Amino acid sequence: MSETTNSPILKTDAITMRFGGLVAVNRFSMELGSNDLVGVIGPNGAGKTTIFNMITGHYEPTEGNIFLADNNINGLRPAFITQNGIARTFQNIRLFKDLSVLDNIRLAAHYTVDYGLLANVFRTKKYHQEEERVKNEAIELLKIFGLENKQQHLAKNLPYGEQRRLEIARALATKPKVLLLDEPAAGMNPKETKDLTELIRWVRDKFQIAVLLIEHDMKLVMEVCERIYVVDHGELIAHGGPKDIQNNPKVIEAYLGTSDTEAEA
Amino acid sequence: MDYFIFLAQLSGIFIILAVSLNLINGICGQFSLGHAGFWAVGAYTGAAFTVFLNLPVPGFVNLLLSCGASFIAASIAGLIIGVPCLRLRGDYLAIATLGFGEIIRIIIMNMESVGGPRGFTGIPKLANIGWVYLWVAITVIFVANLLRGSHGRAIISIREDEIAAESMGIYTFKYKTLAFVIGAGFAGVAGTLYAHTQEFLAPTGFTFMWSVIILLMVILGGLGSITGSIVGAIILTVLPELLRFFGQTVSEWRMVIYSLLLICLMLARPGGIFGKHEFNILKFLRLDKKENA
Repeated sequence: MSETTNSPILKTDAITMRFGGLVAVNRFSMELGSNDLVGVIGPNGAGKTTIFNMITGHYEPTEGNIFLADNNINGLRPAFITQNGIARTFQNIRLFKDLSVLDNIRLAAHYTVDYGLLANVFRTKKYHQEEERVKNEAIELLKIFGLENKQQHLAKNLPYGEQRRLEIARALATKPKVLLLDEPAAGMNPKETKDLTELIRWVRDKFQIAVLLIEHDMKLVMEVCERIYVVDHGELIAHGGPKDIQNNPKVIEAYLGTSDTEAEA
Repeated sequence: MDYFIFLAQLSGIFIILAVSLNLINGICGQFSLGHAGFWAVGAYTGAAFTVFLNLPVPGFVNLLLSCGASFIAASIAGLIIGVPCLRLRGDYLAIATLGFGEIIRIIIMNMESVGGPRGFTGIPKLANIGWVYLWVAITVIFVANLLRGSHGRAIISIREDEIAAESMGIYTFKYKTLAFVIGAGFAGVAGTLYAHTQEFLAPTGFTFMWSVIILLMVILGGLGSITGSIVGAIILTVLPELLRFFGQTVSEWRMVIYSLLLICLMLARPGGIFGKHEFNILKFLRLDKKENA
């Protein structure tokens, strides 16, 4: 196995998820360096999104532990895991559709806001200072993503590609150390996918964070990821650089089925 | 004339109830059917405060103190009911809150100290239209200001997408409970004002039907719109009374006409009169000018 470039920021230690008798993910272990760009691939139903849901706290692993920078985050609520530095996007975009683009970003900064409920209602000096800060930071981020002209638009009125971008921007507004992208290229045309490839790489470099992505689009994964974990039926079947993965017989088997000669062997 | 002032005062009380329920149902998106319960808690707490304590202070001070007491009592009731119920969603939450609302009413019914089923009598008439509308202003400004800040946005985000909100670092359970507690608190204040307007309280006056009527006010005005709730509360308080004045036949059929009007309105505007939007008088006038030009 190829080693991580630096000490791991995120580590899963043999996490298992059972739903009744079904083992969705079985003893999955992985490591993510603090500036890595790693992919998780696998056929439909392999358990990729379940892995994401365990890391982000939507599910609690039946067994195993998850460490974020040496802290065990197992069993924490999703909100607190996000506050600790893991942000995510969703397979089917989950923006706050009826809120403005600006409000979407501002909401992600909510937990950093340093005024109480009463300050909110009485609109104290602190409230105005903090609102100003949050707004400016949100606009900065929107500028980076080229959405500053649309800050008053409702999120649902943006074109698909921009909704994807806004969702990534919103995840980054929580100031994460690790960004999880769940099928970011789903529903995109080749041109948009290409732009996205650039964007992912650029986000990693610009924000100096680790990126973990689930993707079906092989071209994107092979192009952008430094290391790839392949899962099938909840099991980790391969791990390595894009080249190794492409030539790994187990991977080919998982995706294309067994060839006759191998079946006989 | 007295009758119209009374009607205006009653409208004010229902505005407080509708706006506070809107915070829970329309703005936070948690379907609650127990609002009459919090209203009852507030009404009885406020009435007990003035009648039993009988503090030697001027009437209006007594009223304000009892409003404060009922806000706290109803908030606590909201907290006790909200914490277990808010783990449920949608229809289940509605049924659970409905159940708790009825439980509150039945507990009151069996409390001899507040009159039990015979009702609570001898409450001084301390509330007048001025005090009611002072509390209307407090409620509306409180909720409107809340929504302009980060805590209010967090409450709205739960309505929009709870899973996404949680993933954005918003501890949704806290904000759901917060909306529930504040909403219950203001319903309690409305209860005290109601008690000191009517001078009499009976547990039968706080049945589940009232939760539905308050909910109707909110939906009629538009879920999520504060101005909508205000208009909805006024319409549903005044309309049944207004129909009395259209002669014998109309008066007899007034509940039918009232229902038909509601059905027509919901058909014409399913999102309520204002939808999720706020009515802004300045914008409205500017729009008028443009059209005239």
